[in-house]
Amino acid sequence: MAKPRRSRRTLTTLVVLVLLSVTIITLDASGKGHSLTSGIKSVATDVFSPFRSGFNDIIDPIGEFFAGAVHYGALEQENHKLQAQNGALRQQAAQASAQKHQLTQLQKVLALNTLPAPVQTLPKVAAETIATTTSNFASTITINKGRSQGIVVGDAVISNGGLVGRVIQASHSTATVQLLTDGQFKVGIVYGNDQFATLQGQGAGKPLALNDVSPNTKITKKTALVTNGLAGAQFPRNIPVARITSIHTVSGATQKDVLAEPLADLGTLTYVQVVQWSPSPTGAPTGHAPTT
Amino acid sequence: MTGRSILKLILVVFVTLLVQSTIGVDITIFGAHPDLMLLLPIAAGIAGDAEEGAVMGFVAGLAADLLLPTPFGLSALVFCLVGFAVGASTGAVTREVWWFPPLVALAASAVAVMLYAVIGAVLGQEQFLRVDLAGIVAVVAIVNAILAAPAVRMVGWVLGPASGDGARPSMAGGRW
Repeated sequence: MAKPRRSRRTLTTLVVLVLLSVTIITLDASGKGHSLTSGIKSVATDVFSPFRSGFNDIIDPIGEFFAGAVHYGALEQENHKLQAQNGALRQQAAQASAQKHQLTQLQKVLALNTLPAPVQTLPKVAAETIATTTSNFASTITINKGRSQGIVVGDAVISNGGLVGRVIQASHSTATVQLLTDGQFKVGIVYGNDQFATLQGQGAGKPLALNDVSPNTKITKKTALVTNGLAGAQFPRNIPVARITSIHTVSGATQKDVLAEPLADLGTLTYVQVVQWSPSPTGAPTGHAPTT
Repeated sequence: MTGRSILKLILVVFVTLLVQSTIGVDITIFGAHPDLMLLLPIAAGIAGDAEEGAVMGFVAGLAADLLLPTPFGLSALVFCLVGFAVGASTGAVTREVWWFPPLVALAASAVAVMLYAVIGAVLGQEQFLRVDLAGIVAVVAIVNAILAAPAVRMVGWVLGPASGDGARPSMAGGRW
């Protein structure tokens, strides 16, 4: 008699847990519920961040040690060469190299000052990437600035070359940025002679898909795509986004099959800039005040 | 459930989450990361029973969801189903052979990743089916198979020793 009772209880437990999970998913999908789950995630990120950072500080030297062990032969050769050099000069050179790399990255970010005037006038927050994508099913990065620096969900993120993505979660001191290659990412763009379309991500490492291009539309490879900034758009207008790489017209199809590549180099996102912009009904650029 | 058991559960979930969010995401093989959190319900299903697998899956999944940009609760749902399935399907099988945990972890991880993608797509995340699913399935399943034995030992520590009649007190309530 005990076994059926136990198996009944096991089944009840499963049903309760499944119902709980479904309730949480439903809450997350609804408007008000989503703000609640976002808040919980934000608090969890704030609590967890110091532990993650501390753990990284511990394991990084260990990882470097093992990397060194794996490349022992090469390191030994390199060591013989390095012994001939002065230690202080070596350190200086290493520092200079790292600083040069950082400088190059920052210069690329600053090069965005060539952006169209409406975007230039908007307030921006410079941030550093502290983690890459955490899920196998999403393309995201985590940056070291959050709500305390005025970053809010929905802010556009730009870097060397153009648009990088959008802030989808902001905790006190960090934020998660959905990259434009993510399958959920969509942006309204304009190209050529005021022709509008939607650009959509298709997953990490895959080209972007340009939707809503009719077969009669004149479009060529290498055409630059910029944000359209229409009323209600999620991004300010005229941010460079991508360049067309391939165009196919299938006979009988209602639209052209157009692919594009991001202008920003998403593989080297050491530094980014977060554009503090809130969508307005008219599409006019509007900065938002930093919140604390 | 005793206070000590709850503390052990929280500790194991927390440490695994810490390792996943630091070392786990740094390891990229063919564009995919290992998923160590998924190993917890599988190990609980092997070391314990279906109920323990389901409870561990829910707790581990919810913890993982806190740090993921994907829908909140999705991992909790998939993990508790997988933990339950592993516990229920392996209950009558002898678990003493060394290859049992890796084999179960391999199969359960593969099923879990596919289930995650399909349920995600049903919930409006169609891009879950556009990713390189085969690559993710392979990486997650193989890494979990390799780590299955220590994971079962670790989760066994959380669940505690089996009682005299061979049935361990349940995680969900009662004496555990």
